[in-house]
Amino acid sequence: MTKKSAKNGRPKPARVAVVAAGVVSPLGFGLGETERALRESRDCISPVNQFSVEQCRCKTAGQVSDERLVKIAGRAQRPGRLHRSAWMIMSALEQALAHEPDFRPELAVIGTTSGGMTFGEQYYRAVHSGRGVSSTPRLIANYPPQKPMVDALEAFGISIPCQIIANACASGTNAIGHAFQCIRSGRHERVLTGGYDALSELVFVGFDSLQAATPEKCRPFDRERTGMVLGEGAAMLLLENLDLAQKRGALILAEIVGYGISTDNHHLTQPNPSGSGPRQAMQGALEDAQLSPDAIDYINAHGTATPFNDAAEGKAIAELFDGVAVSSTKGMMGHSLGAAGAIEAVFTMLALQHQFLPANINFRNPDPNLDLNIVANDARPAKVQSALSNSFGFGGTNASLILQRAA
Amino acid sequence: MSLAIAGIGWVTPLGSEVTTVWKRLLAGEEAIAETISTRLNSQAYPVFRVPSNALPSLPAHPRLRRVSAISRFAAGAALAALHDAKVNVDLTVAPRTAVIFATANGGVNYTTRFYHDVIESGAQRASPLLFPETVFNAPSSHLAAILGITGASYTLVGDGAVGVLALKMAQDLMEEERLDYCIVVCAEEADWILCDAYRKWRLQRSAAPIELFREPPRGMILSEGAGAVVLTREGKIRVEKISAGGNFSRQTEASDWIDKVYVDLAGGKIDLVVGSANGTFIDAAEHQAWQRHCAGALFYSPKPALGEAVSAGGFWQLISAVQALRSQQVPPLLRAPASMTSEPKTRFQRALVSVCGLNQQVGGLLVTQPF
Repeated sequence: MTKKSAKNGRPKPARVAVVAAGVVSPLGFGLGETERALRESRDCISPVNQFSVEQCRCKTAGQVSDERLVKIAGRAQRPGRLHRSAWMIMSALEQALAHEPDFRPELAVIGTTSGGMTFGEQYYRAVHSGRGVSSTPRLIANYPPQKPMVDALEAFGISIPCQIIANACASGTNAIGHAFQCIRSGRHERVLTGGYDALSELVFVGFDSLQAATPEKCRPFDRERTGMVLGEGAAMLLLENLDLAQKRGALILAEIVGYGISTDNHHLTQPNPSGSGPRQAMQGALEDAQLSPDAIDYINAHGTATPFNDAAEGKAIAELFDGVAVSSTKGMMGHSLGAAGAIEAVFTMLALQHQFLPANINFRNPDPNLDLNIVANDARPAKVQSALSNSFGFGGTNASLILQRAA
Repeated sequence: MSLAIAGIGWVTPLGSEVTTVWKRLLAGEEAIAETISTRLNSQAYPVFRVPSNALPSLPAHPRLRRVSAISRFAAGAALAALHDAKVNVDLTVAPRTAVIFATANGGVNYTTRFYHDVIESGAQRASPLLFPETVFNAPSSHLAAILGITGASYTLVGDGAVGVLALKMAQDLMEEERLDYCIVVCAEEADWILCDAYRKWRLQRSAAPIELFREPPRGMILSEGAGAVVLTREGKIRVEKISAGGNFSRQTEASDWIDKVYVDLAGGKIDLVVGSANGTFIDAAEHQAWQRHCAGALFYSPKPALGEAVSAGGFWQLISAVQALRSQQVPPLLRAPASMTSEPKTRFQRALVSVCGLNQQVGGLLVTQPF
């Protein structure tokens, strides 16, 4: 499968293709709906309806429709025991496998931050209230973070080793990046990757307590940005050795060409204001892809709209690139944490496939400290050959991924 | 790709210095269970805790000031492993070193405290100091900061077998020429809510000891601590093969999955099996695979002595295997029927570490030290 390089005797790196993908987010179910929502620059943020936010500053989030999720849940045995995030994964996986029904992954590398946390919350509330809960064993068995993914795999009869990466908000991008490395090194031919997270009260209140969440609109990179809104969703991508995929005539949606990871040790929750962490991750991805910064046509930024994150990321982008088109899509659907990197990789892939730039909505005034070419408010057609997607998280985890348009 | 274990470190209820704890295990010592409770109910839960004086001294780093126990355990084990490997993570080594942290329950102490405050006092009173420490990757972030590592840092979540998946990830990362070392750490902290959950799940017994291979199984006692290994490419103790295993759907399927791991790993003569038998359904499943594939090998589980520390427990198994190869001695298998114990061998070259978690994951690895 891998060819020996004449230079050092090591295997020549394999190229890595995305051969199918599925996505569930507040923007919609599936690639078609998602593309339409992105083109329309739709604001899919709504009042939180899953738990009380009466005492929180922020009262909105990007939420996935339960009515539609319930339909897919029927695929599993005893679907009622599964967590909502398992339903989201199942929907995304079903979409991906519909395009590649014979795809047999050898490994799953998936990102999440909180997995089945709401089951843990229900369990704690049951203990706290002193009442017995008949469903307690179900809550206990299904709250661990890896469990929704394991359940979703089981529903599709897939039994493979499953690495669940919990690198905070960079998890999804880290998962795709590591899956990419596993194929590129020749150790694997087919890997299932992606990310998932469902809204949970604990996490919602956590970001609110840090005053990272905003009571207003989420305005990434705006001068008057005041913070993030949370979101939820899942995206699953089927990665394959590109040569093998081409040989069997598979449709190539995009090629992953570079991945960079860095750890910013400045603070557990705040980036180094110099932007050194994001810069190192983006530089790493460019070196990995053997591309110069001017080869990048579009950056799907992490862009949470918190003052510190956007300042650090914006500084790093402005220093490294010269006028590249930048947007954060979080204004449309919120920040889906462990799913964000995977969902945004799908957005980036759609931008490459359909040659347009997704918008950075709710943008009113440029930040005078950030020299950025923001795709403000409306999506627009563009020639996009190579695009970079950023994800940064608590703990200083930074990850960047470069995708290219399929030849 | 060739992978070697250059250093090991652990933080356990029997202490944290590797050779001292090993001597205590060889002497047949068991940790002493204490009880923890909550004012939310009238239950008391037995647990093996890390004594406060057992934690190795940690550097006076600002990151360690307010951290949860899990971060201190992880840092203690990782620094001990680096010391054992004689690796000084300086400005030259740091960029060529990756960190992988693995856990099942993460910072559960702060998580329960944070959520308790939300329920009792409302969201407005929730502490912004606690929330960041509830994030699964907080311990790896602290460790990277202490060591000055600015490259790859990953956190994996899973059950008791997540350490095996972390080792597989390390193996994949070490494919990259830019890395010389990978520090892999598994850690857990005990909490009443975990004990309550495992008890309701009928996996935790109400009092020590952990008794192995009983029918029906009587349950395990939860524990806490950390285990760490420093991986490099060359060394005496080699990771010959990793079986990343898979996930079983029901406890009754565990034996089939453990069997697959043994089939994957048990080619050639195995001298020692370090299993995860802990007084639960795992015992029978593991016993069956051991009998079928490695009946001539000595069986050891550290869990009656150290408790069930979930991800850290899996790494204590690995560290026990490494220590057995290094010292050519194996501690007695405690609290097991006489039929399970056998005369210690005199030469150990190949050890199979079989890890089965309580929540559906299995995996294993083969550790060797050629004479």
